[in-house]
Amino acid sequence: MPVVELSYSSLQKIIGKSSKKQIADSLPFLGLDIESEDKDLVRIEYSPNRPDYSTDFGIALGMQGLLGIKTGAIKLKIKKSKSYSVYVKPDVAKVRPFVTGIVAKNGKIDDKIIKQLMAMQEDLHFGIGRKRKKSSIGIHDLDKIQFPLVYTTTDRKHKFIPLNSEKELSITEILETTDVGKDYGDLLANSSKIPVIIDANQNTVSFPPIINAAVTTVTTKTKNLFVEVTGINKADAEDMLSVVATILQSAGFSLETVTISGAKNSTPKLAERKMTVSPSLINQTLGLELNASKIVSSLKKSRLDAAVKGKNIVCTIPAYRFDIFGEMDLVEEVALGYGIQNLEPTMTPSQTLGQTSPVSLQLKSLNQTMIGLGYLEALNSSLTSKRVLYEMANREPKTIISVLDSKSQEHTILRDLILPGLLENLSKNIHESYPQKLFETGTVFTAGNPISETINLSGISAHQDANFTEIKSVLQSALKTGFDLEIATKTTEHPTFEKGHCADVIINNKTVGVIGEINSKIIENYKIRVPVVGFEISLSESILKSL
Amino acid sequence: MLSQVFHDIEKKIITSLKDNPKQTPENLEKSTKLSPDQIRRGIEWLKLKELANVDESKSSIVSLGKNGKESLEKGLPERRLLDLLKTKSKLSDLQKELGPVFGPAMGLARKNNWVEATADTITLKNPPDALPGEKSLKQIGDSKLSVTELDSDDLSRLLKRPDFVVEEVVKTKQISLTDAAKSINLDASSGGIDVEAKVPEVFVARTHPLKDTIDEIREIFVTLGFSEIYGNMTQSSFWNFDALFTPQDHPARELQDTFYLDGISAKKIATPDQIKKVSDSHKKNWRYQWDINEARKMVLRTHTTCVTIKHLAEAKPDEARVFSLGRVFRNEKVSYKHLVEFNQIEGVVVGKDANLRNLMGIQREFYKRIGITKIKFWPTFFPYTEPSLQTMVYNERLGKWVELFGMGIFRPEVTKPLGITKPVLAWGGGIERIAMLKYGLDDVREFYNNNLSWLRSATKCQ
Repeated sequence: MPVVELSYSSLQKIIGKSSKKQIADSLPFLGLDIESEDKDLVRIEYSPNRPDYSTDFGIALGMQGLLGIKTGAIKLKIKKSKSYSVYVKPDVAKVRPFVTGIVAKNGKIDDKIIKQLMAMQEDLHFGIGRKRKKSSIGIHDLDKIQFPLVYTTTDRKHKFIPLNSEKELSITEILETTDVGKDYGDLLANSSKIPVIIDANQNTVSFPPIINAAVTTVTTKTKNLFVEVTGINKADAEDMLSVVATILQSAGFSLETVTISGAKNSTPKLAERKMTVSPSLINQTLGLELNASKIVSSLKKSRLDAAVKGKNIVCTIPAYRFDIFGEMDLVEEVALGYGIQNLEPTMTPSQTLGQTSPVSLQLKSLNQTMIGLGYLEALNSSLTSKRVLYEMANREPKTIISVLDSKSQEHTILRDLILPGLLENLSKNIHESYPQKLFETGTVFTAGNPISETINLSGISAHQDANFTEIKSVLQSALKTGFDLEIATKTTEHPTFEKGHCADVIINNKTVGVIGEINSKIIENYKIRVPVVGFEISLSESILKSL
Repeated sequence: MLSQVFHDIEKKIITSLKDNPKQTPENLEKSTKLSPDQIRRGIEWLKLKELANVDESKSSIVSLGKNGKESLEKGLPERRLLDLLKTKSKLSDLQKELGPVFGPAMGLARKNNWVEATADTITLKNPPDALPGEKSLKQIGDSKLSVTELDSDDLSRLLKRPDFVVEEVVKTKQISLTDAAKSINLDASSGGIDVEAKVPEVFVARTHPLKDTIDEIREIFVTLGFSEIYGNMTQSSFWNFDALFTPQDHPARELQDTFYLDGISAKKIATPDQIKKVSDSHKKNWRYQWDINEARKMVLRTHTTCVTIKHLAEAKPDEARVFSLGRVFRNEKVSYKHLVEFNQIEGVVVGKDANLRNLMGIQREFYKRIGITKIKFWPTFFPYTEPSLQTMVYNERLGKWVELFGMGIFRPEVTKPLGITKPVLAWGGGIERIAMLKYGLDDVREFYNNNLSWLRSATKCQ
């Protein structure tokens, strides 16, 4: 989840009449989690579906609504201007087909705002921009740009001075030497054509989605901004622009249009949408009996506009609230505006009778039997390592089911047996008193399509006098007493067990597992100083068979 | 009253002390023929049973010094003088014979009026049979003796003289029987065992503490009217993500968060109708090219919700309470708060009247039954529920609110394509977190370390 760092005092200033405590208490009810606090500074986790919460201006808009200071939808006031235009050439179609933009004038630009805008930009790139793949933003000093602009493509030899550089670099150099080039160059990997925005003086303004030109860098001397968003989808690019536009307007900028034309592109409308929701759905879903005017006021507190129309509520949704897909999203907005803390939990009697699954019941009964036989229950991960599952257990790997890019070396393959994990457990407890008797039940995996998942039981006993007879007696009693199953054992060989001290476990003429004295080589490798005996059987083939 | 049972060591010590009521441990060693260690243990046991008194005292030990040893061999200087006087009387002869001790011997003899002296002769007057100090000198001899064993008057004569007697102070233990012990009849107590002695520790075989919590939670769900359903841990991306309205380019679907099975794609993922309707919902709402190959990729389930939704899509119940419980997986770096594999429970309620306040009510009841009463609800976001809430519970030990189960109502974008027509309330979360509260753990890894000392001793604190 993305995190934004704010100060209570600046939030207070933007929100208006509110106390620090009021704000802190209300943040969770906007769906914001306070991650940490240090005096005036607060770090807040917000949901990726609300990119408008990536700055204090966005959070302030929401908070004003919740506290009832300002309610209703935020209207974008965009002045129509003929001074700014971008023409899109058809060659961008195959690489990054869409561009959109807006101009924001006469705002106060200080270090704090620059820092916030950059943080917002990064969050938008990462979240709804899908690491700049879907859409990406460039924010420029308007007065360093000569309009009209052209959005077109060039080749990798094209040169300009990129942001944070003092000399001209070619596209190839930018991709190979700058951090952003290395991070996002893959997005253009398959393309010979490179998207660029060029101004009327033939200066490069931006190389989306990688980097802006140095010349348009926003500084504390900047008065006016030009914001462009490029992307692979027109609607997504305009969604992203709507967030930036809303934030800039809230930060005190005056917005003006940028005319976009050419190659399926057009000037963004950033228009409100209307959506109808029925009070009965709201009341039924929330378990409330709100009248229409309470619903309207709740929606307004969620910074939407709403009006009663016949039996329904017609809701007006600003462009930046593209997280609202349908009626149910409006139900949630009513709940938030009404206040989650005002919802009283209710308990309705169950219409159904509960039931534990037969598998769980059998496993529980087996657990009790094993415990009765003196065995302590262990739990190991089903995602384990080749070392534990094969190397240390002296087994040859068969068809391994492995996961991609695991962050942990100990968790890379799915287990096909439980026993190797129990042996490893013994190795970590050699300083504890003996006898040590462990068992585990759990899922094991067999490669195939589909993958087969079955449930096994494994038990081990380690002490000075551990021997085959003991472990066979245990397994025999566990299955006979608990489940009326008779076992037979037949000589076999298994690399984990000592030759001549190992048998197949047979139930109803079917081999369901293996039992014996653990190979002394394994015991030695694990530095265990007492004999170990053990078994593993398939429960899916035995006590769970008929379920 | 049952007669007490004694260890052989104890019996021997008691017997010896009955014969000789006050003894030092060294004496007991001699009289019982036990080793110093056995004596030490035996005395300790008897003391604990209040059968023996141990008096520690300081005492003076004396032995002969250089002059004392010489006197032992030749007699005290005054004794030698008196003996000489039986045959000689000339002063010069006596001086010659006795050497340097003549002076002190003569002084003593005159002072005690044992002799009479003229200018050059000395004669015996009335000497006693035994001279003061002679008795102690003989008693001490070559040994070390406690002053208590000697005539203190007699000894004091020697102590006054230079280097006749060396005195040292030592600590000694005197063992004696208490009154209770004196009446013990050792013969009558044979045949029994020492029921009061300490015994070695044995360990109970038991259910794993985490499993115990899992069982408890399962039980609560069942009593709240829920039935358990089972599902696979390996799932297609379709059921783990697509069916839950999580777009194919969503960050949660990336390799760095989700475990994909290397090279495995599901052949059959769902019915053609389900695939069509789910993909349509994605295309319409998320605006991208939905790819069936992406949906075929097999993953280790990241939540148990895939089991629930698959069940609902198949059964399409109008009224139901079901839950699924089991292991889920996240590609995380293992730490004190994160595991790659943990247990999750998820419950759903299906019904035409199911609503958010019911959902909150079931939560409250659930928490009450696991012993948590301080809870509150905060809004949150999940891709597949709307509205969505999270439960915050107050952790008394840490003194702060911590997040537990998430909950919500399945989005129409999830239910409609799968033909589920009634509202579905869903909630769930990790079980380890609850078990950590119960066992007072700060490190979640402890549950899977299989550390025997912990498994054998872990106790619930809540």
